Amino acid sequence: MEQHNRQVLVAEDLRKSYGPRPALRGLSFSLNAGRILGFLGPNGAGKTTAIRILTTILEPSSGRFVVAGVGSDRPEEIRRRIGVLPESLGFPKHVTGLEFVTYFGRLYGRTAGDAKAKAAALLRDVGLEQRGRSLVGSYSRGMRQRLGIARALVNDPAVVFLDEPTLGLDPKGQQELLALVQWIARERNAGVVLCSHLLTEVESVCDDVVILSVGQVVASGTTAEVIGGAQRTALGQNAIRIHVAPPSVADARRLLEALPNVRQVTTANGTAPGWLGVELVAPPHPAVSPDPYRNNRILDALIRAEIPVLGLQTAGGRLQDVFLQLTQGAIE
Amino acid sequence: MSHAQVANDSGAPFTRSRAPTWWIVFGREFHELWIGGRALSLLLIYTLLLGIQTYVFASNSELSLIPPNEMVYETLKGAIAVGLFISLIIGADSISGERERATLEGLLLTPTSRRQIVIGKFLAAASPWPAAFAIAIPYMTVLAQGDEVLRPAILWGAAIGTVLAPAFTALGMFVSFWCNTNKTSLFISLGIYILFLLPAQLPGRAQTGAMGSLLQQVNPMASHAHFLSKILVNHRTVAEFWTWLLAPALLALLIFGLLFLYASPGLRLEAGRARLRWSWARAAGVIACLALFGSSPATALQTAQQPIQVAIDLDYKVVKASDHVLFSTVVTNSGAEPSPPLIVAMNIINLNAKGDVVDPEDWSPQRTQYTEQLPAGGSATLSWRINAILDGDYMVYMVVIPQPAGQEATSHPVASSGIHLTVTPFTRLNPGGVLPYAIGGPIVVLVGILLIYRYRRREIDAGGAR
Repeated sequence: MEQHNRQVLVAEDLRKSYGPRPALRGLSFSLNAGRILGFLGPNGAGKTTAIRILTTILEPSSGRFVVAGVGSDRPEEIRRRIGVLPESLGFPKHVTGLEFVTYFGRLYGRTAGDAKAKAAALLRDVGLEQRGRSLVGSYSRGMRQRLGIARALVNDPAVVFLDEPTLGLDPKGQQELLALVQWIARERNAGVVLCSHLLTEVESVCDDVVILSVGQVVASGTTAEVIGGAQRTALGQNAIRIHVAPPSVADARRLLEALPNVRQVTTANGTAPGWLGVELVAPPHPAVSPDPYRNNRILDALIRAEIPVLGLQTAGGRLQDVFLQLTQGAIE
Repeated sequence: MSHAQVANDSGAPFTRSRAPTWWIVFGREFHELWIGGRALSLLLIYTLLLGIQTYVFASNSELSLIPPNEMVYETLKGAIAVGLFISLIIGADSISGERERATLEGLLLTPTSRRQIVIGKFLAAASPWPAAFAIAIPYMTVLAQGDEVLRPAILWGAAIGTVLAPAFTALGMFVSFWCNTNKTSLFISLGIYILFLLPAQLPGRAQTGAMGSLLQQVNPMASHAHFLSKILVNHRTVAEFWTWLLAPALLALLIFGLLFLYASPGLRLEAGRARLRWSWARAAGVIACLALFGSSPATALQTAQQPIQVAIDLDYKVVKASDHVLFSTVVTNSGAEPSPPLIVAMNIINLNAKGDVVDPEDWSPQRTQYTEQLPAGGSATLSWRINAILDGDYMVYMVVIPQPAGQEATSHPVASSGIHLTVTPFTRLNPGGVLPYAIGGPIVVLVGILLIYRYRRREIDAGGAR
């Protein structure tokens, strides 16, 4: 338990500028051992810059960080304590998976025999035991990602950084890889920083979330806290999404717009056909709780009009909504 | 006891290797370069070029009559030039190539110091040179035809190549260090290589004037070639020409300093060095220029009268191309006074080609001969050799030129009778016995590649060696 409460990564006011352009404007967060932190943000938010600073590839313009008790002024010592799967890690084609991981084991100071035994164990852990003797050039994308994870674990790191590990994988591959991420945190007791654009997956595996927008932290805390915080906003309280059969969208829209507690109905952008965004009339005062049956009444109206209802979601109830809400300006 | 038990941050103990990490990086890079096939492919091309050059030297009737020491020198020069090119392009790929293949980041994320990464990569990238030089030795041996030139050729070739090949490797790596893509790195490296070759392409006068000589001496490619030609072809001493080795040595020192002391600690994911200090870069540039131009060349100048007669002991001769003709001339002073010093010059006229003059330099080791003044009634006998290079109909004759008495005097050259020389064609399929080497060299390398490929397959089937 004590192990779980141990802080393995603390970032304090990290800043980075490329010439006059600031890329990171005061990043602060912490991560405990055995926990998974989702590191989110739209493209250009500063995620990769942050990861490269925390993995000592880049130097920050200001600020500091500590990894497993080692300050950022000792980069070589930090590299002994971290494992990294970069977003676009290249692999040599003419070596086998076993040779690849063994080589990195040796670079961390292991003897040839020890490094080979460690590599074999890690390949077993990541499900590549049967393909360890094959050339890396023959691996699929998913296998390469798992090989990259095995490489990242070769030094038994205190913190593992995974930058878009599920990118380009099929759904099954994504699921397997996320299970592997959970295994790293829970079984190996490492702190995991997971960068991903797959928000539903992040929501399902991450204990903590940091959302970056234009180089700044716009939300951080446990996943539940971040989602809960957004739900308490006006958007979270007064908007729902309804999924109806696509041929009935026009009828449903007319019907909903005629209801007294509906303020506006929109076709939800960026989603599958048939989704309608419904903005409800806000209570007269923020202290007044909204009518708890208002969603029932909307559904009742649709059922009576024999419009097939396929689904209903409370806007702001998912990490995706929070993400879009908080990073809207940056995306636009 | 070569290992120590240590515990990492997670507390799991493991046996720590005492092997330096540059050695581990070298091992991996060496394996990748040789087993991956890149070095062997380049060596195969190199062996083919060397085989073709050797065969051309021996088979072309013009060139086959070059003395063995010149053929050995030319082969050695070619081997070094191609060896340096291979070293340069392997070096040029070593860092930018890793950037392009996105494999550098993985390496930078390990606790290995940047300098150790660069040292390991450099040693691997420099490894093709010993193999390239070893391949050239049999070719030089067959072209030497037992001439004593072989030993100094091997000695000086090994010494100069062992300085220049690593320097060119380091130069390629230094370029690669500053490039994000392989295309840029290879393009710039190729440009630098052409720049080194360029002085040799200048017109003859531009190469022999003071400035031309300076250019030759500061250019490591030209200066080492000049040194080798003087030592191997002209049998001059090292003491006379050692200064021509300064440029290669200084280039090596400069590049090693720049790569290992200045650049390598700042190796990073993006091209260039972290926190470049321009003042140091400028200083290094100035030092390089001063060092290269500081070694001034030594140039030398050379300058040069009668009842004189000249006779030849041969009237005509029919020979095959590649045969040689030996004859003598007798210069007689039939006057009452001693003659001035005399120059006897050989001339060859092609009778088939409307009297074109043939350059005797290609046909004879002695284009001119010199005799001291002849006493009244005295004579001197001179021996000549003509190598029949090309088939055709020729007239060979000699001219005796008495040294003029001064700047405002002239003399009367005297011509001999001619030798009518008929050269008939002759070709051989296996000149000088080089054919087995010309064909065998590439085959041996090809078999080597196949054996390594087979060994690698077995190694993979057995789970990998490393």
